Amino acid sequence: MTESTGFILSQECRPPSGRHPDAPAKEKPEPYVAADALVTAVNLAIYLRRPLLLEGEAGCGKSRLARHVAHQLGLPLYEWPVRSTSRAQEGLYTYDSILRLHDVHLRQANKPGLFSAKSAPLGRTAKGRNPENPMDYVNFGALGKAFRLAECPAVVLIDEIDKADIDFPNDLLTVLEQPWQFEIPEADDGMPRIVAKHPPIVIITSNKEKGNLPEPFLRRCVYFYIEFPSDKDRLKAIINAHYMTEQSGKFGDGHTSPSAALTEAACERFLAVRNKGDLHKKPGTSEFLDWLEAMRGFCDLPGLAETLRSDEAKLPYPELLFKIHDDWWRYAAKL
Amino acid sequence: MNDYEPKAILLAVFARLRKDLALGVGELLAAYRAVEGGFGAEGQEALREVARLLWCHSLDVADDFDQAFNDVLAQTARPTPAPQPVMPEPPVDKPPPLPPPVQPVNIPPPVAPSQPVAEPAPLPVKTPMRPVRDIQGPELRAYWPLSRRSMVYAWRYLRRTVKEGPRDVLNIAATVEQTARIGFFLCPVYDRRLKNKNHLVLLIDQGGSMVPFHRFTRDLVETACDGQKSQIQQVDLAYFHNVPPDHVFCDPHLMLPTPLGNLLALIDIDTSVLIVSDAGAARGHRSNERIRATAEFLALVKRRATQLAWLNPMPQARWAGTSAQFIAHLAPMFQMDNEGFGNAVAALRGQSPGRRG
Repeated sequence: MTESTGFILSQECRPPSGRHPDAPAKEKPEPYVAADALVTAVNLAIYLRRPLLLEGEAGCGKSRLARHVAHQLGLPLYEWPVRSTSRAQEGLYTYDSILRLHDVHLRQANKPGLFSAKSAPLGRTAKGRNPENPMDYVNFGALGKAFRLAECPAVVLIDEIDKADIDFPNDLLTVLEQPWQFEIPEADDGMPRIVAKHPPIVIITSNKEKGNLPEPFLRRCVYFYIEFPSDKDRLKAIINAHYMTEQSGKFGDGHTSPSAALTEAACERFLAVRNKGDLHKKPGTSEFLDWLEAMRGFCDLPGLAETLRSDEAKLPYPELLFKIHDDWWRYAAKL
Repeated sequence: MNDYEPKAILLAVFARLRKDLALGVGELLAAYRAVEGGFGAEGQEALREVARLLWCHSLDVADDFDQAFNDVLAQTARPTPAPQPVMPEPPVDKPPPLPPPVQPVNIPPPVAPSQPVAEPAPLPVKTPMRPVRDIQGPELRAYWPLSRRSMVYAWRYLRRTVKEGPRDVLNIAATVEQTARIGFFLCPVYDRRLKNKNHLVLLIDQGGSMVPFHRFTRDLVETACDGQKSQIQQVDLAYFHNVPPDHVFCDPHLMLPTPLGNLLALIDIDTSVLIVSDAGAARGHRSNERIRATAEFLALVKRRATQLAWLNPMPQARWAGTSAQFIAHLAPMFQMDNEGFGNAVAALRGQSPGRRG
């Protein structure tokens, strides 16, 4: 595992205390092995203040990169999972006018004289909202929160941007560039304009599920395609990273790393199956790690490493690797 | 390498790829800023990495990019080309050189004038050899007039929104306004739902000279029929070959015929009819028979629909002298590119399409 962070943040952007209190906990690092080219891409995006657009096969660590970057730099991370109904506005803020109306109504209902209530100040509700202050009814989204951060930039993950409507990326464009600001028209007084003191580090993932993103949007992004780690050494580095840091992680119990023989055999067999080229859906890194963990801890079959080495033997736990019937038929069922 | 000039390399690569990769000056300046910030200082490979990150936005263009970058590197690495073979420009459109100004006697005349003075050239002059290859990327570029994305965008303009149905949509602004006006909350204000009532009849020429364009007609059908994307409420499809005779087909393989009358019965005054056909422009000849048959068909359609457009996948420059030239007088015909399709959709909405120039 390349232990060095490699990510560069200029001095004035660093959080004053070294780590922002909202940053992912230092004790819980994100197991991630970033290739040198990817580190360069992240640094370039940070330096130029441009969004980093990540593409790549499913399960090869696109979204996890954001967590990794946030952890290494000690910055808070705001995630924004995009859905098919998401609108760009939601990333900035939503305004709850119904709640405001409700609060006003409730106040007035509680007063003795219905019509005399108008002149008296309304006061706060039990939850601390003041209907006279529209900002109490603004809920900031991931980008909005990042814009309001005063002491350091935040990492914003816009996950699976291609899921949204085709206008979505275009709507984001005006916000994600100079002068890094947006307005809240609903709050006519108070602070209608939010200006980012530190532009956020925006990491966007896409897997082209619904065609290409619009060109003006692409033009402003730093683009990186995350490849599957196709050589054995990198795969092993990833395995090491995962088992070093997973004391309290995904698989719970304080477990040990898989034996060297098992790791070696699993890597070889997996890459052989993957690189053969007859799979409809190639399993990704995350599926590989699950598969390895199953072989290590779920049910330790005797002589597993030897079984893996022989090409004729059935693959153990195929249900973790093959998700399409044809693939299943070819590798799991026939033997 | 002491004469490593990243900005010069970037500029040369940018000049080559600007059009193909749809880059703007902002992207060049961003690359400059990256170089000033120390990115790509290690050498050409690091510089290539930086430029690729900023300028390549899909894996498909990576090859083009590498090719252009290599070419530029090859040019810059070449020992500065032997200064242009001494080949004075033929003094055709140049005014005769001015006589040197009268100089004070105490200054010796410059030994080598920096500006080459045009001299009468020995004739005949051969064209100077250019040391630079002039090939702009691979020649076999795909013909890609219209992307799916732009189709979806254009379809969306084909809206015809009507408020209908029960009042079941809460109008927050009106509710707040009403409450403020009365002074207390009386009841919520509801609106009727906005519905898109557009109806599109898509008539597609299939087979024969249209085979190279099946890719695009398929995209057109798919984008139009995906109601969520195109927001067209009702799409009726029909296929034909060359000219719709007395029947059309329901499937792209022209296997399921249906009488033309059935299709025409679907068309009412609010229907938009789009015909996609090369109208004989692909083969490039004129057939009176085809023109006559098409005219008869168009007359039938025009009797029912007012919003009619014809999309021709062949570029307009190729219509001249073919049947398409004549048919274009019978129906508003547009070339299948972004602008043409946009104009076609405008015609389908009943607007007079914007003419160029």
